Amino acid sequence: MDRRDFLKKAATAAVGLAAGAVIPFRSARAKGPYPNDELDRRFGRKAGAWVPSCCNMCGGQCGIMAHVVEGRVVKIEPNQWNPNNFSNVSDDFFGHLDPKNGLNGEARICPKGNSGIMALYDPDRLKKPLRRTNPEKGIGVDPKWKEISWEEAIGEIADRLKALRNKGQAHKTVWISEDHSFTHIQADFMNLYGSPNYYMHSNLCDTARKASFKMVVGHDRPLCDFMHTKYILLFGWNPTSALKWIHLGRIIPKAIEQGAKMVVVDPYLSDTAAKGHEWVSIRPGTDGAMALAMAHVIVKERLYDEKFIQEWTYGFEELKDYVSKKTPAWAEKVTSVPAKTIERIAREVATTKPALIDVWSGPGQHTNGVQGGRAIAALNTLIGAWDAPGGMLIPNNKGNKHVEVHPDETATKTLAEPYLDGHDKLPFGHKSGNYTEFFRRIAKGEKPYPCEFLMVIFQNPMMAVPGTKAVEEAFQKIPFTVVVDTMPSETVQMADIALPGSVYLERYDLNTHWVTWPVLALRQPVVKPLFGQPTEYEFVALLGRKLNIKDTEGKPFFWMGRESGKRVENVTKWYEEFLSGEIKEGEPKMTLGELKKLSGAVWVSPKGTEYRKYAKPLKPEDLAKAVTEDGSPYRPDVPAGTGLYDKPKKDKGKRIGTMWKSPEGKVIVVKGFDTPSGLCEFYQPKLADKKDFRGRPVDPYPAYAPRDEQPSAEFPLYLINWKEAAHTHTRTWNNQWLRDLRSEAPLMIHPETAKKHGVGEGDEVLVESARGSIRMKAHLTRRIHAEVVGAQHGAGHWALGRFASASGKGQHPGFLNEMRFDPLSGQACHKEICVKIRKA
Amino acid sequence: MPKLGSQEPIYIAVATGLEALKTNTQGSSAGPLVGTRSSARGADGLVKESGMTRRDFFRAAAAAAAGAAVSEMALASTPQKKKHHWIMAIDLKRCVGCRACVAACKAENQTPPGVNYNVVMDIPHLGSSDDKPYFLTRPCMQCKSSSCTLVCPTGATYHREQDNIVVIDYDRCIGCRYCIAACPYGARQFDFGEDYETAEETPGAVTSPEYREYRTRKKGKSPIGNVRKCTFCVHLQDENGEYDQAQGRWPACAKTCTGHAIHFGDFMNPEDPIHALLESRGHFRLKEELGNEPSVYYLW
Repeated sequence: MDRRDFLKKAATAAVGLAAGAVIPFRSARAKGPYPNDELDRRFGRKAGAWVPSCCNMCGGQCGIMAHVVEGRVVKIEPNQWNPNNFSNVSDDFFGHLDPKNGLNGEARICPKGNSGIMALYDPDRLKKPLRRTNPEKGIGVDPKWKEISWEEAIGEIADRLKALRNKGQAHKTVWISEDHSFTHIQADFMNLYGSPNYYMHSNLCDTARKASFKMVVGHDRPLCDFMHTKYILLFGWNPTSALKWIHLGRIIPKAIEQGAKMVVVDPYLSDTAAKGHEWVSIRPGTDGAMALAMAHVIVKERLYDEKFIQEWTYGFEELKDYVSKKTPAWAEKVTSVPAKTIERIAREVATTKPALIDVWSGPGQHTNGVQGGRAIAALNTLIGAWDAPGGMLIPNNKGNKHVEVHPDETATKTLAEPYLDGHDKLPFGHKSGNYTEFFRRIAKGEKPYPCEFLMVIFQNPMMAVPGTKAVEEAFQKIPFTVVVDTMPSETVQMADIALPGSVYLERYDLNTHWVTWPVLALRQPVVKPLFGQPTEYEFVALLGRKLNIKDTEGKPFFWMGRESGKRVENVTKWYEEFLSGEIKEGEPKMTLGELKKLSGAVWVSPKGTEYRKYAKPLKPEDLAKAVTEDGSPYRPDVPAGTGLYDKPKKDKGKRIGTMWKSPEGKVIVVKGFDTPSGLCEFYQPKLADKKDFRGRPVDPYPAYAPRDEQPSAEFPLYLINWKEAAHTHTRTWNNQWLRDLRSEAPLMIHPETAKKHGVGEGDEVLVESARGSIRMKAHLTRRIHAEVVGAQHGAGHWALGRFASASGKGQHPGFLNEMRFDPLSGQACHKEICVKIRKA
Repeated sequence: MPKLGSQEPIYIAVATGLEALKTNTQGSSAGPLVGTRSSARGADGLVKESGMTRRDFFRAAAAAAAGAAVSEMALASTPQKKKHHWIMAIDLKRCVGCRACVAACKAENQTPPGVNYNVVMDIPHLGSSDDKPYFLTRPCMQCKSSSCTLVCPTGATYHREQDNIVVIDYDRCIGCRYCIAACPYGARQFDFGEDYETAEETPGAVTSPEYREYRTRKKGKSPIGNVRKCTFCVHLQDENGEYDQAQGRWPACAKTCTGHAIHFGDFMNPEDPIHALLESRGHFRLKEELGNEPSVYYLW
């Protein structure tokens, strides 16, 4: 026994003896813990109710079970009946499904899902409608809120909207919202009211990806079949950490366990890359060049899927020609990825079967994002991965149906006014619009007309739209802004009236899921709204009632029950009928009540995942009503390549089939791809007739062009950002549990770069761009490309709540950006910033 | 590869005091102060000439000091239940580092700010040129030969004999924090009495289901001022000491693990799939050289 041991022993004994004197206090009692059966009955797992619902901590909509005891949500657990929590292919899901217990505890939820309780009971939630009394608006300016009643708030909002409509200016109302929650009722409101300007979140997120895939296969949301693949190549996607759909955390490691190789191309060694076999460090925004060089190798070495290319593709010869000069040596100069690495990965991905290649917002959020993504998508065509087991699947995501509304004459007139965000001028624009251009036009006072009224529901453009200072300017120019949010966000600070929104545990929604076959799950109120506030959809309905909005038949839309056809006083009941109608007319063909009674309140189509749907013949009943683009009925002698539609294209007809020439030379009707040729397209000459937002013709090839902003002598570093598991965008940073997981987003700097700029670990760093400067904390790591600095996005709040703004206040990279979007899709470019750094 | 039984306890009485203690606790359901040793540990070089290791010495000293508690436990003996040895096997290849386990643990045990029963560490691979990390989640190891219980001067923290889980009697814990210093895994934290803030309109009170005691946080009342730790969510066991994954009675971290990395099972049950898992994969335990015999295995 050494001295240290002796001292320890002595101390232990001493304290022990001292404590011994305390113990008799309990001496008559058995040693604890002391389970309390009575309290267990009152608070334990069997107490209260477990309500099936869906999460909305992000847009992923996974299934949850909420445990409610004595009116309080005490725990959120995974819903064991929802495929989104387990797998995206049906054989895997049904193979584990037990008719009694669902997934038997194998369904999961993410950290955000577990922390929903803290969003619900956040002490900084907006509780009462607030009216601004300070006419001055701006960052850091106190709005001098005055509490008002809901009646007063809705009254004033309705008066303003009515005045605009009476003047024939309903179109000057702009409405933006989150894109997964109660969007249909908001779209209906705007339609019936008479404004074309209803936009949603997607254009801040992944409309570049949507456009890329749409150009290649005619579908904008293909999903990876990880469970059946042997090779995974990801460009700029961090699925196991961004974790939008919980099944990703399971099926990617599972694929690797089953022998798949995973390669991640990214300027940052993301948490996903950490799970992969290989990280390919690349310069931001050059992914398209690497993909073209890979195509060069695959074509040159004839490693492509010859049969698939012959039968199902268009423009292969043109591509071959185009990529002949896109050598790995050329790509090395552009991307910084060694030519040898590009060659090897090209060979691996083309010769390992099955393989899949995906791309998300890393390469997407640059001005060249769409064509880059298109080149990556085309690699899937070369290897025949489309809709094949282990490849890129084209999901069937049918669920509820958005029932069409018919606006009256007054509304129809203003609906014909041009979009205020100009998204129809984008060759691959998305219905979610283009926030960036909208705010830019308002800030600059540009055509076509000013915005007189802005409604913002559950969106935070002050932090989410590129170019924070310009967004601030736009808000200052909009005469009246209403913001509905659960939290006093940076955008709420710019509102004239702020209204308390509802947390997902307080409201309804229908969720189609991010799996490959039809699933529809219910979100339902688990508890009543905490402050007695109407939920967002109730607010919309109340507003519609106040405005006395009628459809073209003169029916008061927001009073008429969709199921009963009668006037419904209770606004919640009215909305329940609204939803019930959507479920009934949608894929499940049941009522809301019936959906609620299903296990986990989720409807899962028994049909399951279908592969190679493009080769399937059209159903006779569909063929019977099929017409060509111009509306003439289908005849068996229509030439190969002709598209077939469910109704004439001018009446918003959807492409349902293609006249396809089989290898035997017979022309038959198959589903095909929803592209001009009905095939996967490498090249499309008609694109040259289209103009991008800046008036330049669209390249018919998946061409690589450098993005607009490039490093310079003054601003030599790329600044990028990414998403990690603990937070969703800007909205979760006041959640106390999630802050325990991650409360700040340090700037990742390569040690060599840091040395060059005189920065050390933990230093405060001044990050400057041509537009502004912010301070961030440095974290030195070799996980990032030496020419790049970056951070998880969403931090740097100056509002939102006491905790969110407690660290790094106002140090938000949006201040370094300008109002930049991709000219093909309208995608906001969050990652196209060049900066210099120095120790602050 | 561990075979059932090969690492099961072999009780070795090495000092008179300990011998006596063992006799005292025969038949008791609690028997917390009897340390366990495995045959594997005999070869770890820690055994001194006298046949008594440092650890054994402390155990004896602590036991002597807490003599009062021991006799009380004998009084508290309950009928012997079926024995379990709950273990975790955490698959480092599967863990995606999302920290859902940390959030779920918070939610399940209603731990206050600054108290997290488990943590996830990002550890760069040794010798990697790019700091590529692996993720390692660290619950309480529920050591068979635990350091924390040895130093507890009041006997508040102890092993449950029926399932090897290390628990804390909050009423007995005096908050001296010796166990925090002793635990080589950093698995224990002190409850300083901080609270999360919630909206005034939040109904009801926070009760933690921990140990099925449903304590409400109140200033000056346990567990404020106590040391706290992971219990493998022991409150989710049924009256037979069994868990049930299909019914959600499963440790919160394992129940939410997005990568399906956290496996949980009964080492004493030869039918438990955890045996096949351990046999099929390479695995290690943290700081094996200390001889604590942790009940958490890492698959790699």
